[in-house]
Amino acid sequence: MKGFTLIEKIIKSHSNELDNEIYPGNIVWINLDLVTARDYAGPQVIDLFQKNYLDALTFDNKKIIFTPDCYPYGNDPKHALDQEKIRVFARKHNIRVTDLGSGIGSHLLFRRGFSKPGDIAFGADSHYNILGALGILGQGAGDVMLAFAMKTGKSWIKIPETVKITLKGEYKWPTTSKDLALYVLKQLHEYGITGQAVEFYGDIISKLNIEDRITLCSLITEASGVIGFIPPDEVTVEYYRKQDIEIEALTADGNANYISELTIDIHDLGLYVACPPHPHNVKPIEEVLGTPINSIIIGSCTNGTAADIREAAKILKNQKINPEVRLGIVPATREDFISAHKENSMTTILDAGGNFFGAGCSTCAKGQYGLTGGETAVTMTTGNRNTQGKIGPADVYLASPIVAASTAIEGKIALPKTRDD
Amino acid sequence: MSVEKISGKSKLVKVDDIDTDQIFHQSLLTIHDPQEIKPHIFGNLEGYENFGKENHENKVLVVGKNFGKGSTRQQAVTGFLAHKIKAIIGESFGPIYYSNAVNAGLLLVEAPGILEFLIDDLDTLEIDVSNSIILNIDKRTKIKCNPIPKPALDIMKAGGLLKLGDKM
Repeated sequence: MKGFTLIEKIIKSHSNELDNEIYPGNIVWINLDLVTARDYAGPQVIDLFQKNYLDALTFDNKKIIFTPDCYPYGNDPKHALDQEKIRVFARKHNIRVTDLGSGIGSHLLFRRGFSKPGDIAFGADSHYNILGALGILGQGAGDVMLAFAMKTGKSWIKIPETVKITLKGEYKWPTTSKDLALYVLKQLHEYGITGQAVEFYGDIISKLNIEDRITLCSLITEASGVIGFIPPDEVTVEYYRKQDIEIEALTADGNANYISELTIDIHDLGLYVACPPHPHNVKPIEEVLGTPINSIIIGSCTNGTAADIREAAKILKNQKINPEVRLGIVPATREDFISAHKENSMTTILDAGGNFFGAGCSTCAKGQYGLTGGETAVTMTTGNRNTQGKIGPADVYLASPIVAASTAIEGKIALPKTRDD
Repeated sequence: MSVEKISGKSKLVKVDDIDTDQIFHQSLLTIHDPQEIKPHIFGNLEGYENFGKENHENKVLVVGKNFGKGSTRQQAVTGFLAHKIKAIIGESFGPIYYSNAVNAGLLLVEAPGILEFLIDDLDTLEIDVSNSIILNIDKRTKIKCNPIPKPALDIMKAGGLLKLGDKM
């Protein structure tokens, strides 16, 4: 019998196609489990829906969620009006809204059990593929696709080839999953995975918690890949069990067809920083030590969880940030914010001179703390994109929360010295 | 729309890894109107900042690898439609960008090797969709391109994905 990769299996179970139509390069129609939009694309999706389908009902209002997360407090009239448009449409169609302060939509999907392994979720967020960390086929989509999907519950997808990646070896503190993700991004960008899916294997995987897995999978977009999957395992099952959701492990077939297989050696991996002007311009930290930095953000769907804030707090305990530095923390979700408060990381970071902002997206969307001021504001963020000119006119570096916190103390890119456990 | 044979003057933007923030910057995302999007296209791409304000009607854009990587923003497609760009030929495209373009009726043509294929600005290019060939009429040369998938052609012939949704 023909074997299938994870993505092929998920696509097959959501389409009406026979086995022989499920192969890389073929385009098939799929039925979606969840369609979402946020305050960037949401208003345009609603406009397109109403212009093309007038007063038609959505395919299933229980399978749609609006997740405004880019402009947390509607910080100019246009943003506020856009958010209002979402609320009015949602009320009319009885659609759920995770409104301001709830956090990043993609994170809410797994944190609140809206989506589970084996599902397909489409949303207006190019990092929806982080959901591959839980075995969910998450995909970012534009306004047209989402308006169509809200009407029909369907979408088309070009079945991607899959690359099987084995991570060989282990790393230890201060190296984290962000360094792993940056290192893997560098390798995959050179290798070339444009339009391809990836499955991650290796002994390290079972030791990565859900937050680590999210970080690892969040940089696939930056290599122009479709998605990175971590096959759901005991860690995933346990994560959902805590939410009273029973799921089954999901694996690729033993005889699945991969376009290629790649082993990446991560033994004793060091610390890495993505340098301007691209996320894939990843260098060992040693090459950029001492670079002056004065604007630092810990947040985003890549590294904005309570676990990330905790790691930064360990570095900042009983320390003061450099007076030249502005340090902002943007928790990914309300749940992360509450944990940071309960665990006391919030007080530790405030004591050190950092600032907290409302839960949601951070530097990647410009809605909050995105644009830094002027030519002299050199930024380091734990986010996922540093394209030149995106955040501000000056350079932007990407690094782990540990490196970001250490850099905040020194005012220049620095190695972590100690941590307080 | 007829998509069998498409021709137009070339406009070269041979830069790899052009991100959606370089096509249409995130600070402009509350702009939805195509005519308002138009002047901002490539506003954050070094060397091409004036592209949006120039006339590129009926041109065929030639780009490099991973064009349109990055965000899901539809404006990065809408802006080229507003410019009446006929097609974009590239080494490869970001997967989300590819689907956004097909859905809105913008033809993207994947042509591995296009960067080495000799084209000057304003050469006349012809894309023979049925035979998957790109011709440089002025230079009398040609190069193979990847076939356009039939479902993508069907969506474009229907005038975009939203039209299909009427009946579903």
